[in-house]
Amino acid sequence: MLDIAGLTLAYGEEPVLEAVDLKLAAGEVASLVGPSGSGKTSVLRAVTGLTVPRAGTVRLDIPVREVGFLFQDDALLPWRTARQNVALGLRIRGMDREAALAEADGWLERLGLAGFGNRWPRQLSGGQRKRVAIAQVLALKPRLLLMDEPFASLDAIVRARITQELVEWVEREGLSVLLVTHDLEEALAISDTMHLLSQGPRARIRASYRVPIARPRKLIEARLDPSFGPLLDRLWHALEAEVQGTATAEAAQ
Amino acid sequence: MKTTIRRTIALVLLVVAWEAASRVGWLDPFYAPPPTKVAETLGELFAEGRIWSHLQATFSAALIGLFVGLLVGIVLGFAAAVIPGLADLLEPVMILLNAIPRVILAPLFVIWLGIELPSKVMLALVLVAVVVFFAVYGGIKEVDRRLVERIRTLGGGRWELLRDVYAPSVVSWVMGNLKVSVGFAFTGAVVGEFVASTRGLGYLLQFAQSTYNAALTIALILLIMAFVLVLFALAERLERRLVRWRYG
Repeated sequence: MLDIAGLTLAYGEEPVLEAVDLKLAAGEVASLVGPSGSGKTSVLRAVTGLTVPRAGTVRLDIPVREVGFLFQDDALLPWRTARQNVALGLRIRGMDREAALAEADGWLERLGLAGFGNRWPRQLSGGQRKRVAIAQVLALKPRLLLMDEPFASLDAIVRARITQELVEWVEREGLSVLLVTHDLEEALAISDTMHLLSQGPRARIRASYRVPIARPRKLIEARLDPSFGPLLDRLWHALEAEVQGTATAEAAQ
Repeated sequence: MKTTIRRTIALVLLVVAWEAASRVGWLDPFYAPPPTKVAETLGELFAEGRIWSHLQATFSAALIGLFVGLLVGIVLGFAAAVIPGLADLLEPVMILLNAIPRVILAPLFVIWLGIELPSKVMLALVLVAVVVFFAVYGGIKEVDRRLVERIRTLGGGRWELLRDVYAPSVVSWVMGNLKVSVGFAFTGAVVGEFVASTRGLGYLLQFAQSTYNAALTIALILLIMAFVLVLFALAERLERRLVRWRYG
């Protein structure tokens, strides 16, 4: 589905990340975790073409229009209503206005927002805006979903509910997902594979971990799986070593 | 509502005190004629019908200047934001025009365009266009990058960016500056007439000043204030309609 080879990204002289290799199979859910500044978001941006790599390749087995990107911020157009925001991608893809709005209404209903279609984004709660953003992306029927800490701004209960709904959707539709997050527990509960990035600049993939928890998953139950605790412990120590290693190197300098 | 009532009461008290001060001789009616005299002068202007051609002249200059100034400001601001070379050319000129009191251009426009309508329109236009230029130019340059990236990741190109991000953003910025623009358009029209003209409220003001007619001067000032306030209210309604997502 996705093959990243030797990816080097830079915004200035020194690369943020360097020689990153990452493969994502069809139907696989992978997470990219790592310290702040390791360039996690930049990887997603490179996949969608928002950032041009300095070196390396990003190869997709699907057209780029079948890639959905869920941003950290909901980034809804403030001058479009909820249903117009959901219909936006459909209209951009050439769907007739009325058909796009009807389709948008269906998605809003599916995501528990029936009756909210004519509200402006500023009239919606954080969780509702996030659902609109999810509807906007899912309405385009992506086969690969890129998620950049999409639920970071939500409170714990809303976050758990929306994440669970999205995981169920991903499993049902067989989507591939590349998730960027700081939350190791959330990443473990969701993913089949986890990639740990080293501290930037010049971050690389330090290690990859398989998550042996069966699907379909309930996120709460996944946390009770016998493999969850030990794997979380390994990940936590690996991440801690990355951060401490950088701190030691900085102190030595 | 309470604020409106308080303000109305304060205004009424001021007018009553002014009238009373005139009647008991504390104010010289030559310099500060009582409100009743001002109202009488205003009534005469309308009753005799002399005011209409002056109103028409000022409104024509202000509204044409406002409309064309908005258009010029939007087009130039938009062009400067998307064509870097043009920004290098336009920005220094606009910064210079913004830095000076632009009404000093009035005599020059009279020399170039004569004492009739075009010189007044030009002054109003320049006053409005500079404000709108910076609103649009700044608005586009500072448009939320997340929205641009959102459109791009949804598959949108230049047209979709223009339709869904830049155009609504420009409308929002222009509407935010509409009331200021209305004020500038009337400033341009009246000051232009004040400098040299044969018609208009500015011309009447100049006449009132040269004949030391304080009642007529105050009446005309009040008239201009009233019309500008009405236009402010209309501009606000238009803003609330066009950018209702901000108020909804």
